Amino acid sequence: MSMRIFRWKAIAPLILVLLLLAAAWMIFADTFIRHSAEDQGTLTLGTEVDIATLTTHLSSSAVVLGGLEIADPFDSTKNLVEAGRIELQLEAVPLLEKKIVIDRMVLGGMRFGTRRRRVAHPVKGPSAARTILQETRDWAKQFDVPLLHLTPIETLKSLVLNPGQLQTVKAAEALTATADSARQAFETDLKDVHVEPIADSAAALGSRLKGATPQSLGLQGAREAIAAIQRTLDQIKQTRDQVNGLERSFGAGVGVLGQGLTALDDARLKDYAFARGLLKLPSFDAPDIGTALFGKASIDPFQQALYYAQLAEKYIPPGLQPWRQSGPRRLRMAGTTVRFPKEREYPTFLLRQGSLDFSIGHDSGGSSFAATVSGLTNQPALYGRPARLQAKGRIGGASPMSVQVAGVLDHLGKISRDSVQASVTGVPIPSFDLPGLPFGLTPGHGDVGFNFAMNGDRLNGRWSVHAAQATFTADSARIPQLSLIENTVWRVLSGIHSLDLSAGLSGTIREPRLSIQSNIDEEIAARLKAIAGEELAKGEARARAAVDKLVDEKVAPVKARVAQVQADITQRIAAEKARLDDAQRQLEAQLKTLAGPAGGLLNLPKIRLP
Amino acid sequence: MLALLKLIQSIFSTLNSEGTPGQVAAGIALGACLGLTPLVNVHNLVVFALIFVLNVSFGGGMLGWAVFTPIGFLLDPLFDRLGMALLDSAALRSLWTAWYNTPVLPYTNFNNSVVLGSVVAWLLLVIPIFFGARSAVTVYRERWGARVMESKWYKSVTASKAYNVYRWFRPE
Repeated sequence: MSMRIFRWKAIAPLILVLLLLAAAWMIFADTFIRHSAEDQGTLTLGTEVDIATLTTHLSSSAVVLGGLEIADPFDSTKNLVEAGRIELQLEAVPLLEKKIVIDRMVLGGMRFGTRRRRVAHPVKGPSAARTILQETRDWAKQFDVPLLHLTPIETLKSLVLNPGQLQTVKAAEALTATADSARQAFETDLKDVHVEPIADSAAALGSRLKGATPQSLGLQGAREAIAAIQRTLDQIKQTRDQVNGLERSFGAGVGVLGQGLTALDDARLKDYAFARGLLKLPSFDAPDIGTALFGKASIDPFQQALYYAQLAEKYIPPGLQPWRQSGPRRLRMAGTTVRFPKEREYPTFLLRQGSLDFSIGHDSGGSSFAATVSGLTNQPALYGRPARLQAKGRIGGASPMSVQVAGVLDHLGKISRDSVQASVTGVPIPSFDLPGLPFGLTPGHGDVGFNFAMNGDRLNGRWSVHAAQATFTADSARIPQLSLIENTVWRVLSGIHSLDLSAGLSGTIREPRLSIQSNIDEEIAARLKAIAGEELAKGEARARAAVDKLVDEKVAPVKARVAQVQADITQRIAAEKARLDDAQRQLEAQLKTLAGPAGGLLNLPKIRLP
Repeated sequence: MLALLKLIQSIFSTLNSEGTPGQVAAGIALGACLGLTPLVNVHNLVVFALIFVLNVSFGGGMLGWAVFTPIGFLLDPLFDRLGMALLDSAALRSLWTAWYNTPVLPYTNFNNSVVLGSVVAWLLLVIPIFFGARSAVTVYRERWGARVMESKWYKSVTASKAYNVYRWFRPE
């Protein structure tokens, strides 16, 4: 009996199953795609992405999203951006290759910085964006500037230092150990050179041949004596070479000890600063005041720009090399998904042209705003052009604003170049408290400028704020309790009615530099120095005295010991070299005596004197 | 519960009487793909359709799926390595690039290390699984099959109504 290969009666159920699957897809596809888009967006951006509705229109290859909310990764209570409606016009053919090419995108009803109805959930599981977010936060922490402590220095507290807290004491102890080990090593090495046995052997040979002449020794005896002298002279030469080597190596060691002494002085300066910090003496230099007052507010915009630039760096790699990313989340292991880009093919994601319709706050009309995004892709090498963002316009309402934004993501070459320039005039600037002080600043409406560029790992940025009607506020309950210094600062601040702030970022990602200037730094610095300069000097003198008292008793013996070691090594080497020189001179004199008159007869080999 | 009952029914029916040992083994070999590789992928839709359409034991397919699912989870790290080695291979780069830029193929997720590694591993193992399963079914039927079929437990399971649904897919 022949067996049939196909089970024909199963075809109908199979078709039924496939139809059911197709029907399920048609019913649930939008929900499935919406959840996938939310998950992928959340994973990519490192912050919660919510989409209220998503409708696909297969016939026109269009997708319409409603109620997009992207939480602010730096503040989970706020939305970075909201979009009421997003229309995406997709190309159909690339979809067959699992690629998304958006010909046209229209975003409407956009709002920024709105408060969320609920706090955003943190991203679960491994996420490159979350790692970058944490790295950026760590990066910003290096700018955690000390607060502007305005301790009432007229009542400086007493200073009690523990020697263990001082770097100079630790450095002195380390230097003592270094000096001792250098001396010990020198003694050992010098012993290994065997200067004494060689010198003694030379002296013994000299004594034995004292008064000897070729005639008294005879021809054979003279030859043997000359040979013995030459051997000893060779040994002396080798020993001197070794001593010279010791001199060179320990000369360097002596130099290190000298550097150690210099380092003690540097450590003492740090200890002065440490003691000064314990006294909480305020710095009255203008740059320090500017940094202390506005450091945190200034680093925030740079931190955010760096985060998005690094995200772009991560997701928009240069070149056409295969690109790896973590596989999809599932019960099974996610694995790694590798993309294989190919020239003249579609990138996996491309937004050719997008237009944005903004509405910020309660727009009551009078707005004219145009914004476009073009060439945004995750494989710029395939697209061949950098991504650009342009936005310009006026936003009406009770307090009209004018906005200009331009940005470029250029990842075509090996080194990516990202930049953004933005200026907003008439923008309401949020109030904030001055760190460490019982004062606040209400800038009111003002102009804000922001430039940021990342070229490879080089950073260049500027953030500026001009508020013509800024007011400083103080907690009225605390005003009667203000110290002299705080009171002075308050008198300065309360007389200032504008704010001009400029923060600059430069350097590299690893070694960034932040500089801050404002119109109130110099004024506060001058007033504080005038009032508190004398008290400050007294406080500094007290800090120095406290450090000196502990450090001097530790450092003086170390300096003496280092000097002693340096002198000992120098003297010992000189003494050993002199000893070898004496032995050599004595033997050379004897050699002259023995070889001189009979030189021609004895046919002596050439002697190379050192 | 119904699904579980059906699974138990299918396993014992398969082992005892349905189809030749070769048909059961072929079902197990195909079902192994469902278990060894991540389920929600296009290739598994094809394998599932083959189990439906080909005159192999459907119960064998379900048995293979059930048996090889935990094995698949256990071997995922191995599949990941195998898949990554293949995806990283310079000799295969042009093939992957061509596939990646060919319509529909990217939906197979062949460029995922676990998917590729597990599918390749299944392709390598499918013949040994077939012969191994065929021998095991033959031995089972010779030594224990008759006793199991006579047991009350087996009779009560096969008497269930759900069993009738399953019977549609018995090998002929």
